Amino acid sequence: MAENFDVVATYKTLLLTSPELSMPVAAIQSLVELIKHSKATTMSEFMLSIKDASQQLKSSVRNSISLSAGCDLFLRFVTRNSQDVADFESWKRTLIVRGQSFVEKADACRYKIADLGVPFIKDGSVILIHAHSRVVSLLLQKAAENHKRFKVFVTESSQTQGGIQSAKVLRAAGIPTTIILDAAVGYVIDKVDMVLVGAEGVVENGGLINQIGSYQMAIVAKATNKPFYAVAESYKFVRLFPLNQYDLPTYNADTLSFQELNVDYDENAPNADGSLGTVTGKTRSLASDSPLTATSQAALHMKVSEDRASQGSNPLVDYTPPNYITLLFTDLGVLTPSGVSDELIKLYL
Amino acid sequence: MSKNNELVDDLVAKLKRRQLVGSSTVSQATLKLLIVVISKSNWTTCNQLVTIVKTVGQRLVQANPTELAVGNIVRRVLHVIREEFHEAESTISHKNQASTSEFHAAPLTTSSSMYNLLGETGSTPDKNLQFPSSLRSNIIQEIREIKDELENIYDNIKNQASLQIHSNEIIMTIGRSKTVEEFLKMAAVKRKFQVLVAESAPSYSGQEMALELSKAGIETTVIPDSAVFAVMSRVNKVILGTHAVLANGGLVAISGTHMMAAAAKHHSIPVVVCTGLYKLSPLYPYDEDTFNVQFNPDSVLGFEEGDLIDKVTVTNPYYDYVSPEFVNLFITNQGGHPPSYLYRLIVENYDPNDHSFDL
Repeated sequence: MAENFDVVATYKTLLLTSPELSMPVAAIQSLVELIKHSKATTMSEFMLSIKDASQQLKSSVRNSISLSAGCDLFLRFVTRNSQDVADFESWKRTLIVRGQSFVEKADACRYKIADLGVPFIKDGSVILIHAHSRVVSLLLQKAAENHKRFKVFVTESSQTQGGIQSAKVLRAAGIPTTIILDAAVGYVIDKVDMVLVGAEGVVENGGLINQIGSYQMAIVAKATNKPFYAVAESYKFVRLFPLNQYDLPTYNADTLSFQELNVDYDENAPNADGSLGTVTGKTRSLASDSPLTATSQAALHMKVSEDRASQGSNPLVDYTPPNYITLLFTDLGVLTPSGVSDELIKLYL
Repeated sequence: MSKNNELVDDLVAKLKRRQLVGSSTVSQATLKLLIVVISKSNWTTCNQLVTIVKTVGQRLVQANPTELAVGNIVRRVLHVIREEFHEAESTISHKNQASTSEFHAAPLTTSSSMYNLLGETGSTPDKNLQFPSSLRSNIIQEIREIKDELENIYDNIKNQASLQIHSNEIIMTIGRSKTVEEFLKMAAVKRKFQVLVAESAPSYSGQEMALELSKAGIETTVIPDSAVFAVMSRVNKVILGTHAVLANGGLVAISGTHMMAAAAKHHSIPVVVCTGLYKLSPLYPYDEDTFNVQFNPDSVLGFEEGDLIDKVTVTNPYYDYVSPEFVNLFITNQGGHPPSYLYRLIVENYDPNDHSFDL
């Protein structure tokens, strides 16, 4: 094992020191650091330590999807090259060099995507984007540099407030930007010419895992026949095949479960029908016509939302099935969702 | 070299004046020109030859950007060139017994582009590599194979006719497409079926199509374009020709095609598109009007109608863009493919570096 080397701490400091770094790239960089510190003398010990470290990384964060994409890509690379090793030390050195050059190239990926995506932005169009994605922002900045005139609606995305960050970046680039409520997607869609979202991960069937709210945007876009484009670097392709929202690794029993409302409303507002209280015990659904006053109901809502926030039971990401995605802009080119499966199969077969 | 330039100028002029139109005609002319260019010009390295071909390609494409087949053929040729050089390179380096065996990546490296993020990319070829003199003839040989493919395209497509058309079916089509014409004629050898042809105003090419089909003994009915929806409920299959197929599976086809495809979708009638692979372009429909042409509006509203002409704007767009969700199946010279599979054919036939001709 790599003694005294904390891969998780390395990962966290990397992300802190360079906020422009995306999670998969930081993960690969941490693994490269691990190799540098590795004192393993045999192949199997070495492989074990890398696998172990990537497992640690994955379990260290709440939402590991894009992180695991990086880890898996690097692991795949190491295993595939482990067959014909003549000199262990020099092989390790090569791995380090390759890893580092990947980190350097990762930035170039975004520029390539931006170049590919710019022609899709029509002069005079209105674009709806979601939350904050570095690659989407870069694409729009590039388009603005190319003298395209367009306006942007960005959803606030209340969980992370990413929309506000996006708006700052875009306004600085001279793009007229309006922040809208997450609930206003349907309201603005008629004014919108295309929807553009980033990605946490792109899954095997060409679907998309992204910040919560992307799925509903995709549904609204489909219903109104607007193109829905996803923008993602190819190192975000993950080997997952979710069939629905609840197949994601970030889902657990707590996510939006109904166990809440161990409400003490019995004390605040005495129940007219005493028997009901005993039947349902301490839980009671909000939908039932409760005798609560408007104010206490609001207080209850407040409590519920506080509860949920503290429990972290609200999902951070959702899954958009491939049939809602028009095209994906990646550094491998502009792909249809089925093109993504092809790339993943080529890598892992 | 100057002889080459003359030939290029000649083709450029013909494309500009629209003396050469139609995917099949222009692609054959392009291929013929490229064979001459490659065999007559001086080059020693891959980059040199690619630059020569790209420069010619750029001029041809600019001469008439809506003839997408020109660009496709140039890309096919470039792909062949790259492959031949690659092959020659690997045989040479095998002979030299790769001296620096620092890292032997698995053979998959070249095919998996994700893997390339970590692996070696764009290994700079040895500048001093001496290519055998047979390389030039090998490349020409490969290009001649593309030429053969172009010549046999109708045969390969029409051989699938009896699989698609069944007895007593009612088929609908629009415009005049040589591919569809051959396809239906071939089906008529074995099967008895009825064809409805939309007249395709204002060019009325549908009427010519109907004439050709009836000459071949097929029971043919001409309908006005406006009746397409009305009769669609009785149709079993819509068979379309196209001017070009775009990378997402969308079509650039004669105007009226979108309407017919939409009517078919409304009635859940399968839409089959017959096309040669040379019409498959790696470009995307950035904008629905990108690949359209406005024709002389005289056939829509003649100049004799002077009173009216003053008061209205008359346009005559020649093509429609049909998005991929309207198409169920593409019949190409390599078999039948759903629209979602087309990206695969693009990967097989074109090099991603050649999608644009910028040097």
